[in-house]
Amino acid sequence: MRRPLEIKAQEAGARSVVSLTSALESISSMQIAKTKNKVLISNQFFDEVWNIYKQIRVDVMFNYGRSIDETPLDKELLILITAKGGLSGDIDNRLIRKFMEHYDENKNDVLVIGHHGTTKLKQAHVDYTYYFDLPEHDYVNVDPLMDITRKYAKSRIYYQNYISLSQQEIKDVDLSEVVSSKGRVADMATVSDDMVTEKTYIFEPNSYAVAAYLENSILRLTISQFIYDSRLAQVASRFKAMSAAKERSIANAASLHMEYNRAKRSQVDTRLKESMAGLKKLRAGGAQ
Amino acid sequence: MADDESQTAATDITETEKVATSNGKPTMAVKIYAPFQVYFEGEARSLSAVNATGPFDILPHHHNFLCMLVPGVITVQTLDGSKDIKVNRALMHVKSDKVSVFVDV
Repeated sequence: MRRPLEIKAQEAGARSVVSLTSALESISSMQIAKTKNKVLISNQFFDEVWNIYKQIRVDVMFNYGRSIDETPLDKELLILITAKGGLSGDIDNRLIRKFMEHYDENKNDVLVIGHHGTTKLKQAHVDYTYYFDLPEHDYVNVDPLMDITRKYAKSRIYYQNYISLSQQEIKDVDLSEVVSSKGRVADMATVSDDMVTEKTYIFEPNSYAVAAYLENSILRLTISQFIYDSRLAQVASRFKAMSAAKERSIANAASLHMEYNRAKRSQVDTRLKESMAGLKKLRAGGAQ
Repeated sequence: MADDESQTAATDITETEKVATSNGKPTMAVKIYAPFQVYFEGEARSLSAVNATGPFDILPHHHNFLCMLVPGVITVQTLDGSKDIKVNRALMHVKSDKVSVFVDV
């Protein structure tokens, strides 16, 4: 059996881990509330822009705002939105696993957002072509990313989606498809008075320029929305991981405390036994 | 037929009466916002901005209008003064005396 002092020192370490994980859990909890609120606010904004886009768009195929003479690369760009660093639970591992199911070195180029993703890709022996830091501020400038997506015929985005505090899922969507499907409502059968047309609206400088601008805006907003969603899912995953770590450290500290008590008791018992034995010896010696 | 015409006229009058006013002057609802920030929301008498064609004003009863703004300042004439908002990139949508400016899109 280990010495009580040794166990006591280990228990103190375990108690520090409890404090640390509790603090990280609280921080994650605050971040969730803040991020969730921001996602809700931004969703209202996105919905209104989407609504205008639905009413104006005329082309069923979304073409990333490319002009007709631009020939895209015949490869699919895979975009991975991962966490900034560790302490985000297993969410990035799950994302990489899903990505690996689809990844083909000859057919895909990889763009990573978030440093943790690059570490995970290195572990999986996958080279990435582009890298961006995960934006921390509210305003996300996705223009450099859009310039890259425009070069490719197809782009697929892997992101983390928040369902609840205890549940986050990994999703992958074709960027062009997601924009097309959201705007598909505006087909000829559903044309109403709300439709934004040249008959009902004044466009400046002209309807084509506004439609092209909106197409770019929609792509920008779609990517931004995926980044915001991922950020929320990541903080939720971190909260889940910290809660689990806290539970584990509490159990560990309690177990060490019990082990310490047992060792202490055992030590006392041993000393008592030794004293008794000594006393017996003394008594026996006195009798002689 | 005559009844129909008078009914249409009556409807038009009712709709005209719905227009918001302040001290007898017509106003419009203006909202200038980005995904995480509302720069202005409220009633206004006019709004001035700049697009690729040049500077322009939006007044109440403006026709439905959709345009992209170039970097510059949006000036909102509110009921108690004016407010300047600097924008880099924005989309303006005007419909039924409701002006929405989507900043950073």
